[in-house]
Amino acid sequence: MIINILLIIDFLILAIVLSAYIYASVKERRYLRIKAGQSLELQQKVYQAEVLREISERIGYSLDTARIVDIIISSLGNLLDYDAVSYMVLEADNKAAFKCRVENSVNHDFIEEVKEKMLMSYEAILNQKLVPKSVDESVTGNILDDNLKVRVESFFNLPVVISQKLVGLINVASVHKGRYGSEQASILYTIINQAATAVDKLQEVLESEKGKLSAIIYSLTDGVITVDLENRLTVYNPVIKDILEIKSAESPDKPLTMFDIIDSLAGKVDLRTKIEQAVAENKTITLPEVLLKDKALEMTISPVKDNQGNTIAASVLFHDITTEKTLEKTRQEFTAMMVHELRAPLTAVRWSSESLLKNLAAASGIEPAKVKDTVVTIETASNNMLELVNDLLDVAKIESGKFELNVQDYDLVELVNEQVKAFRPQAEIKHLTIGVSAPDKCVLKFDKIRIGQVLGNLLSNAIKYSDAGEIVVNVGMKQDENKAVVGIKDTGIGVSHEDLAQLFSKFKQLKTGDHAKKGTGLGLVVSRGIVEAHGGRIWAESAGENLGSTFAFSLPVDGKQPAVAK
Amino acid sequence: MAKIVVAEDDKLISGSLCDALKAESHEPTPAYDGQEALDKIKELIPDLVLLDIMMPKMDGISVLTELRANAPTAEVPVIVLTNIGDVETISKIVSAGAADYLLKSDQSVDDIITKVKDVLARKAV
Repeated sequence: MIINILLIIDFLILAIVLSAYIYASVKERRYLRIKAGQSLELQQKVYQAEVLREISERIGYSLDTARIVDIIISSLGNLLDYDAVSYMVLEADNKAAFKCRVENSVNHDFIEEVKEKMLMSYEAILNQKLVPKSVDESVTGNILDDNLKVRVESFFNLPVVISQKLVGLINVASVHKGRYGSEQASILYTIINQAATAVDKLQEVLESEKGKLSAIIYSLTDGVITVDLENRLTVYNPVIKDILEIKSAESPDKPLTMFDIIDSLAGKVDLRTKIEQAVAENKTITLPEVLLKDKALEMTISPVKDNQGNTIAASVLFHDITTEKTLEKTRQEFTAMMVHELRAPLTAVRWSSESLLKNLAAASGIEPAKVKDTVVTIETASNNMLELVNDLLDVAKIESGKFELNVQDYDLVELVNEQVKAFRPQAEIKHLTIGVSAPDKCVLKFDKIRIGQVLGNLLSNAIKYSDAGEIVVNVGMKQDENKAVVGIKDTGIGVSHEDLAQLFSKFKQLKTGDHAKKGTGLGLVVSRGIVEAHGGRIWAESAGENLGSTFAFSLPVDGKQPAVAK
Repeated sequence: MAKIVVAEDDKLISGSLCDALKAESHEPTPAYDGQEALDKIKELIPDLVLLDIMMPKMDGISVLTELRANAPTAEVPVIVLTNIGDVETISKIVSAGAADYLLKSDQSVDDIITKVKDVLARKAV
């Protein structure tokens, strides 16, 4: 009995120990199983990340959806277990493209079944019946074997959406049942999604870069076009129409064509040949001066290359150089004029002194009157040249902003009277009278010598350009505007309306005017510089040629004039 | 003695030239602008013209072109006296049909007188 009891106790203990052991080992196995599952999941995650990285690397900067899907499909084998992976895209005009990569041999029916399932799925997404006119089919990978008794036992379809647009459908199919659950679908979904995001971002960047580039091209003042290798105009900016004076009368919004560009250059440049040459010789061609009606253009034709270095187009830059050319011409004329003006008095000095020397050496001697004439000629010529050189130096100082004034309180009326007195003998030779209309006094701050120079210049011009009549110098105060005004009115040759505006500019004046009257016009340029340095203004009025003119200048009375002219 | 029209707007230079020509017993007639020069040449049909380029009313090259285009003056020898020595001007002077051209500031009056003698001698032959 006791033995029995002991046996029972023993058995119970054994049972308890055993069950404890079983419990522990079950628990441990469960723990291990969970652990194994976790590590598998982790492993798969790492794998997935690796595949994604590989895919994004291979996609690179491609925006070609077909290529992206190809890359995804060919990388899937590492992540999913399948017998075939397929891609279907519906193209324009109701054509379908179907690509299938066979991993393990299947039969033709299997492929047909996949295709059918994809089409149905497509219909479900688009919510419309699809009857493709033609299917462009490509099956790659393992061989198809119709002896195999297999069919699609499990599959799933996933739409590929890039930039919010359905671009196709991916199908993963297996000959085994129950292969795919949400886990597998989510792996593929993640991959597709990430690829789509990458492409979206890339597209965004490209669009924004393209936008920036277009904005730059559009805002250029130079005309730009690019022409592809088939001689088609691919890019142009609006200013090109103005530069080439292309008038699209019938419809201003009509896009330009290469014909418009070539037509507008007809007879001046054979642009087509030049472009072909630039592309063929792989170099930039510059046409330094192409003259079009009233314009001068500099054209630069360059080959355009892609990132592989292949020439894909040519660009032509049209730079309007009309202003530069005009300035260059004016500058040349100015230089020629200055050379002439400086050489003339030098010639007179040289010839007069030669003649003097020759006559002094001659045995016959020389009349005193003749000597006097010659010396006067030398003196006059020297003075003319000195005046010219001084004017040139003053202009240079004014232009460089180094023109300095010695400003003090002086009576403007007194200065006017002094100058008029000095010029009266010259006026009398031409039977001209000079009158002064001025208040008793007009004291303000100015540089006496420089303003004297201005008055002298204006008076000498008035005498030079008048053959009869009178010259009236008017001095007045404009209290409301806080300035003094001096006007010198003559009855001389006057100034044409066009020339009025140009009288005080350095180059323009030199082209006009009667050269017989001598003078380069620099005197007026210097006068303007002096008056403006005082904070005043100088101007001319004339009713027209031979109707006399008035040259006037104003000086501020508050003495707030800048010390240096700009 | 030769009849010579001196077309020169600078009175100092014109005076020196005329004096020197007179000293050589020639008969100079001054003209102070292009138009006056053209008129005097047509009127006098001189043996020689000394012609400046930069003149008021009408420049020397226009005067020369006009002279060459009209029969009575087509053969009148012209020496261009200029102070503009750039290639463009010189080529214009030559193609307009000048017998010679001299850069004023490079010459002495004697040089010019020598040139006048040469051209007159050539004409006589």
